[in-house]
Amino acid sequence: MMRWPSVGLLGRIFVILLVVLATEFAASTFLFERASHFALQDDDARRMAEHLVVARRILDRTVPKDRTGVTEEVSTDGFKIVWLPKGLSSKASYELNGLRSQMIEMQPELLAAKLRLHLQPLHSGTAITGTMDLSDGTLLKFDTTQAHAAWSVTLGWLMALFAPPLALVIVGGLMIRTTLKPLNTLIRATKHVGTDGHEQVPERGSAEVRSLIHAFNEMHARIHRLIMNRTQALVAVGHDLRTPLARLHLRLDNAELDMETKYAMEQDIDELRSLLQSLQDYLSGEGGGQPQQRLDLAAMAMTIVDNARDEGKDAYYIGPSSVDVVARPVAMRRAIANLVDNALHYGGNVRVILQAMDAEVKIAIEDDGPGIPDEQLEEVLQPFIRLDGARTRNTSGMGLGLAIVSNAVRAEQGELKLERHAGGGLRATITLPLR
Amino acid sequence: MTAPTIILVEDDPPLRMLTTRALQEQGYVVRSAATAPELWIALDNGPADLVVLDIMLPGTNGIDLCRQIRRTSDIPIIFISARGSEEERVLGLELGADDFLPKPFGTRELIARIRAVLRRGAAGDMGRGENGRNEVEFNGWSVSFSRRELRSPTGAIVDLTGAEFDLLATFLGQPQRVIGRERLIEMSRTRLGDSSDRSIDVLVSRLRRKLSAAGGSPPIVTVRGVGYMFSAEVSRA
Repeated sequence: MMRWPSVGLLGRIFVILLVVLATEFAASTFLFERASHFALQDDDARRMAEHLVVARRILDRTVPKDRTGVTEEVSTDGFKIVWLPKGLSSKASYELNGLRSQMIEMQPELLAAKLRLHLQPLHSGTAITGTMDLSDGTLLKFDTTQAHAAWSVTLGWLMALFAPPLALVIVGGLMIRTTLKPLNTLIRATKHVGTDGHEQVPERGSAEVRSLIHAFNEMHARIHRLIMNRTQALVAVGHDLRTPLARLHLRLDNAELDMETKYAMEQDIDELRSLLQSLQDYLSGEGGGQPQQRLDLAAMAMTIVDNARDEGKDAYYIGPSSVDVVARPVAMRRAIANLVDNALHYGGNVRVILQAMDAEVKIAIEDDGPGIPDEQLEEVLQPFIRLDGARTRNTSGMGLGLAIVSNAVRAEQGELKLERHAGGGLRATITLPLR
Repeated sequence: MTAPTIILVEDDPPLRMLTTRALQEQGYVVRSAATAPELWIALDNGPADLVVLDIMLPGTNGIDLCRQIRRTSDIPIIFISARGSEEERVLGLELGADDFLPKPFGTRELIARIRAVLRRGAAGDMGRGENGRNEVEFNGWSVSFSRRELRSPTGAIVDLTGAEFDLLATFLGQPQRVIGRERLIEMSRTRLGDSSDRSIDVLVSRLRRKLSAAGGSPPIVTVRGVGYMFSAEVSRA
């Protein structure tokens, strides 16, 4: 089945209104209006025919010298009659045979008078003109503007018929739009479910919409509570585990074990600590609560790279010495540090490339490692996702590194893009707006 | 010289006991407290050289305690945190704590931090002592020692590595005076946890690059054959 592009609820209601009114219009026009229109034309023809017969009879009985005066008397505003003593016959463009036979049928006398009807060109100002013979062979010429009015009325008529339904459709549409407005607010609010903000949508609109919004608000509050509970539980776990871990560490320092075992156990404690750290960082959205500040992104990147270099890592910074941006410093520092750590861990090296443009600044973190398969690029941004077979490699953290980066960048209205660069390794690009 | 006295505030009894023992084994005199009231008693019981303070305490938390201690005393404080977040660290340092140690920690790490803080206090080093927690300014740049933060003339935070900040602090302590390379190398060696073998010249060039952000030439001048000199005028904010 073919799918039409959706026009939305408002569009649909508009279309329904239009179809209903168009049907109504068509029905009334073609069944009723048209009949009365014809009757009117019929009336018009009869009146014309009668007028002409009477005028002819009067003029027939009038002596030629008085005829001009009499024609004026039998003329009306919409029906001008002129007597032409000489047999002049105007050449006209269109013969109106239909109307002629209609009129002759009504007044057979007109046949004998050799009635001729013409539709005049528009510039002459009248619609129908005609001539007929008087019994002495002279001509009687007439123009009618009345008939013209009957015809030309049809366009205005159509307009008059169309206007009210059209106005109704527009008024109706505007009212429906107002009615649907709370739904749009609801749709916007739906997009924010599960994010930081927890705002109630004001309950407005019709009863159904109000109860829908009410239900939505309750659902939203429920989801928010669930997320909060989970988060608090996890934060508490992370927090409460640190104290026994500290005890374990101190006990280990006093334990009489061989150096190797002691060292291995210290490593285990350290790994646990970093797992908890990343969990807490992710859940608390570290630095996210801080206000935005002006900071030198270049100095930040250089500092992270230099710290890695000082630890003997293969890290390089390419870019300007100073680029001011407005961001949350702690969260941004964490984001860049996470990407650098990831690059060093999975790729073995890192290049941080900073580019400042007119409206934005791009910071790319590249490595020459194996990269991430294209189909998994989306997946790695999800929390708790690790691509290496979990415990087979010595990875610290819980697979929260990139999720933390993603959250931090989104908070600055920035963008995080992961891709495979030409050399094959992974390139993570953060784009931040310059303000 | 008598052994330094440390007041330990920790609400978890086994951890308090273990930490106390670890410190005593290193020769420190330890007075321990589980809550805020006990801390005040411990402080009244005699002179102390340092407070090790857990942030999460029942009742008054460590942050508030730190604020209260600072009203009356300049005693060095090391925070112990179960969250280990950067925000908490910055807040702690801003309140006048001297260091910040996330749980879990080993004896070695704890002792190293305590020693470093005590040494800093004794030496009246930058960051404490005579220049205290003041901020200083030079050429429109400002440095906050308590936050260990450098801001450019545009007001932007300019990150420095730990070693870079210490180097800058040394320069700021002796502006417009030539500092010998040996003195700088020695200073960077004694820095806590600084085990890497980088030359002081690399550090200086990194610092120069960051200080050139404002466009002008960086205020660190090489004095050939002797060392370096910080050429800008330093004023207290």
